[in-house]
Amino acid sequence: MTDYKNIPDMPLKTPLDPLKDQLAIRDLQLAALAIRRKILYMGHRNRIKLHYGALLSMVELVTTLYMHWLNIAPEFPDWPDRDRFVLSKGHGAPALYIALWMRGFFPESNFDGFRRLHSILQGHPDHLKTPGVDCSSGSLGQGMPVSCGMALGAKVDDAPYRVYAYMSDGECNEGSIWEAAQIASNLGLDRLTVIVDWNRKSSYGFMEGRNDIEPLCDKWLAFNWEVFECDGHDFVSISRALFEADAVQGRPSVVLAHTVKGKGIPYVEFYETKAHILLTQEKYEECLTHLDQIEEKIING
Amino acid sequence: MAKANDIPSAFSETLVEAGARYSGVVVLNADLADSCKTEAFCDAFPERAFDLGVAEQSLPTFAAGLALVGKIPVYNTFAVFAVHRGFDMIRQSVAYNRANVKIIGHAAGQSMGYAGPSHHTIEDLAAMRALPNMVILCPSDAEETRQMIWWMVEYEGPVYLRLTRASGPPIHAPGYKFELGKTELLVDGRDVSVFSTGDLVMLSMELQGKMLAEGISVQVVNVPTLKPLPPQEIIRHAQHTRAALTIEDHNIIGGLGSAVSEIYAEHVMRPVKRLGIPDTFTESDDCDVLREAYGISVERAAQAIHSLLDQ
Repeated sequence: MTDYKNIPDMPLKTPLDPLKDQLAIRDLQLAALAIRRKILYMGHRNRIKLHYGALLSMVELVTTLYMHWLNIAPEFPDWPDRDRFVLSKGHGAPALYIALWMRGFFPESNFDGFRRLHSILQGHPDHLKTPGVDCSSGSLGQGMPVSCGMALGAKVDDAPYRVYAYMSDGECNEGSIWEAAQIASNLGLDRLTVIVDWNRKSSYGFMEGRNDIEPLCDKWLAFNWEVFECDGHDFVSISRALFEADAVQGRPSVVLAHTVKGKGIPYVEFYETKAHILLTQEKYEECLTHLDQIEEKIING
Repeated sequence: MAKANDIPSAFSETLVEAGARYSGVVVLNADLADSCKTEAFCDAFPERAFDLGVAEQSLPTFAAGLALVGKIPVYNTFAVFAVHRGFDMIRQSVAYNRANVKIIGHAAGQSMGYAGPSHHTIEDLAAMRALPNMVILCPSDAEETRQMIWWMVEYEGPVYLRLTRASGPPIHAPGYKFELGKTELLVDGRDVSVFSTGDLVMLSMELQGKMLAEGISVQVVNVPTLKPLPPQEIIRHAQHTRAALTIEDHNIIGGLGSAVSEIYAEHVMRPVKRLGIPDTFTESDDCDVLREAYGISVERAAQAIHSLLDQ
């Protein structure tokens, strides 16, 4: 039996205050910057196409969750009372891997084998291979329903943890999401927060007029969920939404996070349609220079 | 109280007993608690029984979530929906996660005769056999059903339990013990090995008696585990006879007949004939009438044995 006595105390899970928490916010900004650099590096070093657009829109949300919110213990990845995190948009795996590495779930050397045979870091999250990955994903529309099952388990056990699922907005096209949304509210799954990364583009480009999901807010309300909105690139806004969602009783919560596909890297941000690209050496260096300038601004206030 | 001699009732009773012993057992239904005979469990453990409604693709995902946080979810609906409605969910969320999910496919094969082909399950074994990490069990009578439920609840990993609506006298000798992957020799014989699964093992026993009267010695083998099926578990019987016949209530493609043929082709190299649904969508009628129409009968099996021995 693993001895779980050394698990650190539960984090406070408090919303960030823009004045009082300036230092904490600055740390989060720097962490987000490090994640962006590492995302670019992972694609460039391994000479593979990554979903840069989808990855960069996740950065502040994943940073908030892993550096500020989730009650997890990297030294005990299987701790039964940990919060659960399910990356329903499995193509966001590199961002999740970076957050897990930064929290100490595995050493940096694992990135060398990313997406290669015998690596613990597969193309999409693999629960059995990667410490800290609570559920395998990759087929869209499944992680969110699985997180509902986890929240049901937490309810049956009256367990202390909470379940967080991270979806893309394109995933709202999947029928399985709405089937699960209906069941989750029928079962009163109030230990569940679903985050929708609402960057308004799916793989093939803008969703408006094609695979539209609007009115998204009304849809979740109609399914009897408690709905919160936030700026998905603002740590204060994200933490407030998570705080309010955590406090809801008797029904599940969804946080609709307004994000920008490719956020933080102008070259990717302004890509009209596909942001699943290969970076040239020149573009890679240009992106890094941009991030260096941002870092300087953060440090100099 | 006398124990039930039909498969659905044996399932129902044993699930309650297993729920009493293991507090982790959670039952999921999809609006069919009556047809699946899970009402007894729901009455006994209402805090561990949930009806997701008419939402079959959520059964595997919700069950996977429950399993990933340490519960032992048992989900129930007709086999045709239990497997095929959410097959991608079974593949990605159950099998790939190696989640401890128990999939109960009720009224499999042509058990729901009159309901017609939309409710007949003729390709579940083919689909599930191709999934890594999946265990497939198919009980032949009430006693084997009871043993499989105990085994399944104590085993950690995904299991598909294929149930038919059959009832009848016990097939197994007193003291029979189900073991994963083991085949069971019910009657020894020298001429033809008959491999069958589920309630068609009863038909094989009847066939054996008929052939004996004609002077043909039939060996009857029950195959309760469709996967994993170690070759040795077929070879050890096959080496004593000249040919093999397989009988199943499933498409002849991908099920028991295919599993046995694969082993014969690689290790035994003697003729095999497969009885089952001849790769067609079925029709509505009584289950026995349908089975006979598609060649799953003692008569057709006897003809098949004659043609095997004439080869």
